[in-house]
Amino acid sequence: MQLKKSDIKRQAILEHAYRLFRAYGFDKTSMAEITAKAGGSKATVYSHFSSKEELFVECMMAALENYMPDTLKHLDASRADPGIALLNFGSSVLNFICSSEQLEVRRLIIAEAARSGTGKLFFDKITALRAQLATFLAACMASGSLRRADPGLAAEQLGAMLEAEMLEPLLLQVREDSPDERETARAAKRAVDAFLRAYAPMRPLALQLKQCPN
Amino acid sequence: MKSKTEAKRLAILKAASEVFREVGFERASMSDIRARLGGSKETLYNYFPSKEKLFFEVMHQAKTHELEETAGSLNSEADDLKQELLRFGQKFLIVLYSPEAIGIRHLSISESRRSNSGKLTFKRAVVPVEKQMAEFLKKAMKRGELRTADAKIAAIHLLSLLESELLQRVLLGVFDSVKPEMISGAARRAVDAFISGYQRR
Repeated sequence: MQLKKSDIKRQAILEHAYRLFRAYGFDKTSMAEITAKAGGSKATVYSHFSSKEELFVECMMAALENYMPDTLKHLDASRADPGIALLNFGSSVLNFICSSEQLEVRRLIIAEAARSGTGKLFFDKITALRAQLATFLAACMASGSLRRADPGLAAEQLGAMLEAEMLEPLLLQVREDSPDERETARAAKRAVDAFLRAYAPMRPLALQLKQCPN
Repeated sequence: MKSKTEAKRLAILKAASEVFREVGFERASMSDIRARLGGSKETLYNYFPSKEKLFFEVMHQAKTHELEETAGSLNSEADDLKQELLRFGQKFLIVLYSPEAIGIRHLSISESRRSNSGKLTFKRAVVPVEKQMAEFLKKAMKRGELRTADAKIAAIHLLSLLESELLQRVLLGVFDSVKPEMISGAARRAVDAFISGYQRR
């Protein structure tokens, strides 16, 4: 597929903005500098992004948004076992967020979020991505492979457990090397395992009684 | 016995904490703190090169202490495991989402490449809580109240569940302050999920 000229321009702006924001931070990067690097006029930049805040959020989230479609493919409610789908999804997410580049992006997002007022914009993007996980979980609940509950809450809880073992030490630089795929797969397995137990379908009363002694 | 330099450091922290509380961080100056303390300005700067560093340390000390107390209060003899986790969870979140603790966390993450603030926070605030929780859960597993599993991982799962609803909102500054009712609801839902995930079947 051929990109339109304006898409190519938009892409160039995003890439230069990403580089400048990462090198100098939000405050010390100006729209004028981004324009100078990307070429063209300030008016062109503003025709693509209404503000520096918006451009910051878009370029920081671009990699994640490009990565997500492949990751979300794992979440196919029509196929087999939700456990396997969640495991593949979870490992894929972890591999991405634990890369050193993404950790650096996340630190920058957190550092700038509250100060520059971009936090809400980031939060909306993250919420939209999480909603896709919630949709999958809702389908599992409807088909009876998970018990009925609030799928949005379940998605937040699964997300938190997936990140639980590795994200904080990495973000705080207690740990410097990114985990390899075997390690992320193991962490994802432990999280998905606990999640599936927590959301296992209720067993019919008769079955429960049968297993009780006496 | 504490060494002389450690005693001096603690005296500085105490004086600074009083000054910050009385006049606020913005208006507090290193000279005020030195005046409260006696001694030379140079000595003060030898211990803490800036007002920001001093503030970080003061806040850290206060919050680390509260976290330790919260984790230390976990009672293995409590009758009801779920109630005990709920009590802990609420207290834990109240400490963690106080403006001071949020400030520390923000700084620790954003400065982790440039200073040891991240490592410090992890060592003082994260590791001890995980450890105490793991010990507590291990006992519950031994008593048969929870299924047998890696207690350290179980502790990490519980703590992350407790934070699952609010952490991102807090770190991104989506709301200005965390209200008590948000905390009690979040703690309840997290403990429910944890118990279902780790109960014996």
